[in-house]
Amino acid sequence: MKWKIISSSLLFAAMLATGCSKDPARQLENDENGVYITNRAPGAEFSQYNSFVLADSVVVLENNQLVEKVRTDFDARFINTVASQMESRGFVRVSHGAEADLGITVSRIYNDYTGIVNYNDYWGYYGGYWDPWYWGYPGYNYGYPGFYGVYTITDGAVTVDMIDLKNADANGQLRLIWNGLVRGSGTFNTSRAEAHATALFQQSPYISTP
Amino acid sequence: MKKSLKNIFTALVTIMSLTASAQEGEFRMTISWNAAVPIGDLKELTGNTTLRSTDVSVLYGINNKIAVGLWGSYADFYEKFPRAVYHSNDGSDVSAVLTNSVQLIPVMASVRYHFSPQARIQPYAAAGVGGNIVIYKQYIGEYPSSDSKLGFAARPELGVYIPFKKDGEAGLNFGVNYTYSPYNRFDLGSLNYIGIKLGIGFPMRD
Repeated sequence: MKWKIISSSLLFAAMLATGCSKDPARQLENDENGVYITNRAPGAEFSQYNSFVLADSVVVLENNQLVEKVRTDFDARFINTVASQMESRGFVRVSHGAEADLGITVSRIYNDYTGIVNYNDYWGYYGGYWDPWYWGYPGYNYGYPGFYGVYTITDGAVTVDMIDLKNADANGQLRLIWNGLVRGSGTFNTSRAEAHATALFQQSPYISTP
Repeated sequence: MKKSLKNIFTALVTIMSLTASAQEGEFRMTISWNAAVPIGDLKELTGNTTLRSTDVSVLYGINNKIAVGLWGSYADFYEKFPRAVYHSNDGSDVSAVLTNSVQLIPVMASVRYHFSPQARIQPYAAAGVGGNIVIYKQYIGEYPSSDSKLGFAARPELGVYIPFKKDGEAGLNFGVNYTYSPYNRFDLGSLNYIGIKLGIGFPMRD
């Protein structure tokens, strides 16, 4: 009896303790979910570029497959903010087809992650939730055929890619010199499109030209 | 809800009305609520003092002064840092709200010594040595990475035990302790903290 009291008390304490932890993901405000990642190619000097061409639609990729090129409200706001950020840093936007030093694209990327879960624990204790007596068969066991559940999680991101057109011939390639990535809940919220694009440039002060 | 409050009240009255004396030859439980203050490397991760901390000990009285047994506790440390840009050597920059979350769950063998077991206010010293479950999670925005390990923990404590009434064997327990928790990962050396606890102690008998 004494050990029963001890073990139940410790169990109670453990339940109390684990129920008291703070879940960090639930403590985030809407504008705190976003993660902005920028990458600058080694040696990239932006002062050598003066003009850019910016695609006016967005590439949508799902599981590494091109789905479409579109321009939704979100896309338009994002693209326009990228353009204004570039212009505010001294670059001149030129039309598609004109000679430009930099090429900029915006893409939306969606990737699905699929997994399998089983509910062995749930089914294993089914008799505790619904005693066979409830069905009028006291003493019977439940037969569990081994069901599984499949889940899919879609992860989305927006990327901005900046390509060196000025030195394409010299490099022998269209070299990616800068990339910005937006991730997190609320990434595709239209009202936050400007904030996302602005954040990418704010943390990249080196993108400027005299 | 009313029934729960009634049960809690009944339990407290029962505990407070216990009048037998010595702790020798019996188990006693002390349940405490703690304020845990991070120090050293833990303060670098989470500088906030937490009130999400509990402490439970079950000790067997060898005599009126010395008791031995198990001592476990739980502390949940958390701090969310404002958005900042983190630079890496490879040229990438990450702007995010960073959150550190650390749970420490030491379970230790313990000994407790009462200096004046018959006094109205009974000072004591206690010490524990054992294992420590460390759960460290860092969130970049909403994206977590975690590291869990089983480590070592040691804890000295000084405190006082004050029976609810003269010669009563249930009472208030107030103590201050220091938890030493080595953690040699991520350029950290330890996850130590100071605990300030307030609880109740009572005998465990049928």
